[in-house]
Amino acid sequence: MSKIIIGRYLPGTSFMYKVDPRAKMLVTFYFILMIFLANNWQSYLVITVFGLMTVVATGLKPKVFWDGVKPMIWLIIFTSLLQTFFMAGGKIYWHWWVFAISSEGLINGLYVFIRFTLIIVVSTVMTVTTKPLEIADAMEWIMTPLKLFKVNVGMISLVISIALRFVPTLFDQTMKIMNAQRSRGADFNDGNLVQRAKSVVPMLVPLFIDSLEVALDLSTAMESRGYKGSEGRSRYRVLKWSKADLVPLAYCVILTALMVIVRIH
Amino acid sequence: MSAEKDNIIAFEHVTFTYPDAPRPAVDDLSFAIKKGAWTALIGHNGSGKSTVSKLINGLLAPDDMDRSKIVVNGIKLAQETVWDVREQVGIVFQNPDNQFVGATVADDVAFGLENRATPRSEMVKIVAQAVSDVGMADYAGAEPSNLSGGQKQRVAIAGILAIKPKVIILDEATSMLDPEGKQQILDLVKRIKDENDLTVISITHDIDEASLADQVLVMDDGKLIDQGTPEHIFAQVDLLERIGLDIPFTFRLKQLLQERGIDLPRDADKEDELVQEICQLNSKM
Repeated sequence: MSKIIIGRYLPGTSFMYKVDPRAKMLVTFYFILMIFLANNWQSYLVITVFGLMTVVATGLKPKVFWDGVKPMIWLIIFTSLLQTFFMAGGKIYWHWWVFAISSEGLINGLYVFIRFTLIIVVSTVMTVTTKPLEIADAMEWIMTPLKLFKVNVGMISLVISIALRFVPTLFDQTMKIMNAQRSRGADFNDGNLVQRAKSVVPMLVPLFIDSLEVALDLSTAMESRGYKGSEGRSRYRVLKWSKADLVPLAYCVILTALMVIVRIH
Repeated sequence: MSAEKDNIIAFEHVTFTYPDAPRPAVDDLSFAIKKGAWTALIGHNGSGKSTVSKLINGLLAPDDMDRSKIVVNGIKLAQETVWDVREQVGIVFQNPDNQFVGATVADDVAFGLENRATPRSEMVKIVAQAVSDVGMADYAGAEPSNLSGGQKQRVAIAGILAIKPKVIILDEATSMLDPEGKQQILDLVKRIKDENDLTVISITHDIDEASLADQVLVMDDGKLIDQGTPEHIFAQVDLLERIGLDIPFTFRLKQLLQERGIDLPRDADKEDELVQEICQLNSKM
């Protein structure tokens, strides 16, 4: 049980794994922005095709992405139905009180469905092909301009990387506490929601105390290893741009050009 | 003053009281540690031995800085010199997990170097060397959750080797390890001590670990109650029992044999010597 996956990183060797995490993160943001520029069926077609291209480039099974969408599927369907029923325009097929099914409503519902699904799919593409640590590094790089506003980016990134590093440790600790309490008769799996929530409390208290202890030990260890604050430190782990990162750049340029063309059209 | 020169660490009248504690954890303590020696600091829980390690590198400051004097490798510990002192001393702590800062083995080894703003090009070389010195080269990219306790302690040692200190303190560093992991860590420390001309202080209540030392300091209630070679200390059964420490197996065996009227030579304290003596005795019978 000690090997838990933070985020949903899946090891692999396809092209997506060779792209710099910063590029992946920026392209993901840019792609989501582009989704909101789509306004007609041609532009939705372009953005869908480009979205599926990133999926293919991961070399992973479609199930991985379905697993990403699945927890959100009811929310997506609900939002799409809202769009369908409340939007009236074009030809009206059915009508009752404030609800209506119209040609425009149907199209808009479909658009919302595509938008939502694409956003989740491209985010999944990034999270399954990028290690949490790489995501943290990429975030630090993206936050670099904040230094101008006296934001301590180095410290934030150290905090994130230590937090990520301690997730499995605290998870192990949780399992230990749960087992210790189970062996004394605690029941975490039965009972209604309130009872189950109650049984979590005696687990959280020792876990909380434990994590404070870890934090104290860790700060002692860090200080004795010469940590004087995040100023004036050098970096061991660095991200390097490679030729593979020209592909996402080209991808963005072509996507933008096509989107502009089909929108004007 | 050659005697003073030989000492890498000297404590003079050091007293330290934790906030709200009724009595000092370290009480008017004076001792000296010779350069290049392996010193064991033993005592039961709460005897103040771990506090000593934190005093050595300035993680804790004595109650009265004027009266107490701590000198590490010729540097007198003070507010201004604390970072210089930390350059001289590396500590391996008890809990393998709670001192692993980096996300991977290499990152963790680099942590001390990052703090010292070592240029990356140099850092890469030093980290690779330190990781292979402790036999973890195959695990450089591994995450701590995939390592055993012993492996994590080896990484901690690599992190210390990377900053090239003069003193390495094992603060109960093997107490959470299985016997095999413990032995590997002690063998490793022995090797790097000789290779890098280090001074080792092992703070422990593991008597087998203490018996490896050149010198043993015994602490009780914040005071140094005895010091000497392991042979000298472990011969004092009453003293060890009084402070609640076990006697090493070889010493206990000798005592039990003596109770049965089998006298072994007094100086046969090491395991191999004892085995030899017993074999000789056996052949005489």
